Amino acid sequence: MSRDQIFFIVFFVVFVAINIYLFGSGSLSADWTGFGIFIAAGITLSLYSFLYKDNPLFKFAENLYVGVAAAYTLTQVWYTVLLADVVIPFSELDSESMSNLWLIVPSLLGLFMLTQLSSAKFSWLSRIAFAFVVGLGAGLAIPRTIAANVLAQLEPSMRPITATWEGLDLLIILVGVVTVLVYFFYSVEHTGPVGVASKIGIWFLMISFGASFGYTIMARLSLLIGRVGFLLEDWLVLPLPYF
Amino acid sequence: MKEFLLTIDRRIIFIFVALGVIIPSLATVRLPIPITEDVKAIYDTIEEVSAKNGTILISFDYGPGSMPEVQPMALAVLRHCFRKNVKVIGMSHWPTAVGLAQEAFDIASKEFGAQYGEDYTYLGYKPGGGSLVINMGRNFHDAFQKDLQGSNTTELPITKNINGLANFDYVICLAAGNTPDGIWIPFGQERYKFKFGLGCTAVMAPDQYPYLQSGQMNGMMGGLAGAAEYETLIETSGKAIAGMGAQSFVHLIIIAFIILGNVMYFLYGRQKGGAQ
Repeated sequence: MSRDQIFFIVFFVVFVAINIYLFGSGSLSADWTGFGIFIAAGITLSLYSFLYKDNPLFKFAENLYVGVAAAYTLTQVWYTVLLADVVIPFSELDSESMSNLWLIVPSLLGLFMLTQLSSAKFSWLSRIAFAFVVGLGAGLAIPRTIAANVLAQLEPSMRPITATWEGLDLLIILVGVVTVLVYFFYSVEHTGPVGVASKIGIWFLMISFGASFGYTIMARLSLLIGRVGFLLEDWLVLPLPYF
Repeated sequence: MKEFLLTIDRRIIFIFVALGVIIPSLATVRLPIPITEDVKAIYDTIEEVSAKNGTILISFDYGPGSMPEVQPMALAVLRHCFRKNVKVIGMSHWPTAVGLAQEAFDIASKEFGAQYGEDYTYLGYKPGGGSLVINMGRNFHDAFQKDLQGSNTTELPITKNINGLANFDYVICLAAGNTPDGIWIPFGQERYKFKFGLGCTAVMAPDQYPYLQSGQMNGMMGGLAGAAEYETLIETSGKAIAGMGAQSFVHLIIIAFIILGNVMYFLYGRQKGGAQ
């Protein structure tokens, strides 16, 4: 038996022993809530076991998560979209109330998309649905994206620079925008003043990457803190002063 | 020793990080949490909405994977709103947010005695993204004919007078993806000019600062630190404040390892022709 196998057997035995103690002492209630916490703790530890080495426990938990997430999403889509917005309105159609008849058009387009999965005899129908989605998406997104992400972002970069702290901020932003644009301008050789501006642009980019990386570390740690808080407080029922 | 430090097993770093989270969680030391202007702006706007007995829309766009960061924000904002009698309408662009949003409404409404239908309602998940937001702006009741509990939005006291997005005094997006800059700002805020605030994961935060500077959003809570600031503002100790001790402690550990790694690299790594 290898060292890794011994490690995982010990891990499993310790986990079972802790849960027997928790359920036996009444720290975990013998109901669906207690059972849910027990399962959640086991899956959390299985996922973190990857930090030691890739292993079957991790694979099991990973695949279980994908399956549960897909099933949960499907139920949400069924109850809040397909049932509420398609099935029920169609079932309420009668000779007096035909106002929901227009639903046939989006429903048919949705069904056409599924023909992509069928034989070539019918799959051409999916092109109609995709053409509609691409046309609508482009028509909606292009003007809105240009207005919100380009034009509205240009305006604050062009405000008058004053001898205040706000003015200094604006100057830094202006220098950053111009030098980074110069760095990505490849039609001119990066020598002389262009080279200097390009190097300053690299510094702005590096600082930006550093800030993003710092925030990413903070985000990942927050997730770890959340899970450790759950394990200590909800599973092991330890008295945490601030949780 | 030199060889050991040049080739530290990553699992040793993991153990340090784990201890850095567990020990401060068990300790009673609490670090001060300074309030930033971006978080205070959201707090102040909700205070203004409270003064005119207004209604806000909260878009819950996250899932279990980002719950430790964003759920404390949701709870803090809802507690603030219910304490100040601000009416709250919730919705989601993400199906995975439905259970979490419902849980947040249940907890906060019980604490402050907020009434379903009068003080709050949750509309649930709806697909469509940008086109849904445009539809909400033009005809709110057409976009959401019923809430999650099946009540007609034309009949509920909280929603019956809402005709479009412009009727909301404030819109807050609690996000773990592209919904603020991909949906709410281009299709909602730019078009209907409502006040817009954001609570997002720390990973997203750097990309959202340009929208703060341009005024397209008036405030932002970034990551667990943003949530902790909001909890401090409303004087409620929640999971975010509880996690900040561990957060700071592990940051120090990571900084120490970065310094150690660079010192070892400059002392020995370069002699061998690169990082080891």
